Amino acid sequence: MAVRGKKERKTTSAGGQGHDGSRRAAAQLAEMAGGIAHDLNTVITTIYGFSEQALESAGEQSGTATHIRKIISAADRVKMLTARLLSLSRRAADEKVTVRVTDILSDTIEFVKPSIPPGIKIIRKISAPEATIETIPVQLFRIFLNLIMNAVQAIEKKKGNIEITVDGPVNNKGNRPGKNDSFLLIRITDTGKGMDGPTIEKMFEPYFTKGSEQGTGLGLTVVNDALKDMGGTITVRSAQGHGTTVDMIIPHATFGAVSEKD
Amino acid sequence: MAGVMIVEDDATLRELLRESLERRNYTVITASNGREALIKFRPSVVDLVITDLLMPEEDGLMVIMKIREMKPSIRCIAISGGGKAGPGSYLLMASKLGADHVISKPFLPSELVKKVKEMIG
Repeated sequence: MAVRGKKERKTTSAGGQGHDGSRRAAAQLAEMAGGIAHDLNTVITTIYGFSEQALESAGEQSGTATHIRKIISAADRVKMLTARLLSLSRRAADEKVTVRVTDILSDTIEFVKPSIPPGIKIIRKISAPEATIETIPVQLFRIFLNLIMNAVQAIEKKKGNIEITVDGPVNNKGNRPGKNDSFLLIRITDTGKGMDGPTIEKMFEPYFTKGSEQGTGLGLTVVNDALKDMGGTITVRSAQGHGTTVDMIIPHATFGAVSEKD
Repeated sequence: MAGVMIVEDDATLRELLRESLERRNYTVITASNGREALIKFRPSVVDLVITDLLMPEEDGLMVIMKIREMKPSIRCIAISGGGKAGPGSYLLMASKLGADHVISKPFLPSELVKKVKEMIG
């Protein structure tokens, strides 16, 4: 099956942040699998759809209906195989590796930028451009994606700022360090509508949403879980009408220059 | 009669969805990409837009934002089979940018039609 060319956004989500050849190969494999899965998922949907219509025409109790149900079962099996293909291809991309935080941030901003209303400015304040942490690249991508998109949604008038700070080394409270501290601060501040007290209290609950009915929610359960996996913490400060600041403090960061290996 | 616009670059799926909705007496306009959707969109006719997200010539995220500017009361359903970043990332962005409902491919078209009926009658 040919993978059709589509207008696509740059992303690092396949774990291509390392400089090792095998990681690049894993990233390319995940990318190709993603493209194939996209096309397969569309074809499976058409199989489902025409099978449903045929079932309607044939009548539920007809002999033909039995055959049509077998077509639907076969499509179900392809759906599972597609999901498995994706999962296998991404396994290599799910390893923890050393990533430069600003690289993932840049990739995420590249990914979302075409969709952000032109009145919303993303401002980067990077005091630790070489900061690295051990993490699964797609996890950090999802953290940035969730928080940036929450900020975009909060800026209802479509004009405002999202300020992203990467600073360190700091102590475990996010302040300038004492001896031996190696925490990284990532702060995302927006000039959006802010949140009231009850919303802030519930925001880390799974399925809690103040947005659309779909229940993708504020995505903060995902963010919180990913940060816990890194040993990090998250705090949120917000007031209605006064924007929101999210602070993430991540331990065991390094702040030297990254050596490039091939 | 409620109107639905379908924006989907796969011709077979686009025609399948058109048939499924026209059989339920919806007025249907189709487009094969985002740019065509913005040209064909009629605020007085279309009550709900169903759009794929990854398409050539303006993707579904731009369609959602721009159509919402033309008609703030429009309802939107975003669909995605994923790509390099997986459907979850695209659908998250769609829901933050104004989609009322998001669906991951593959899906049963009958479920989509049921959702359309819930949303616009």
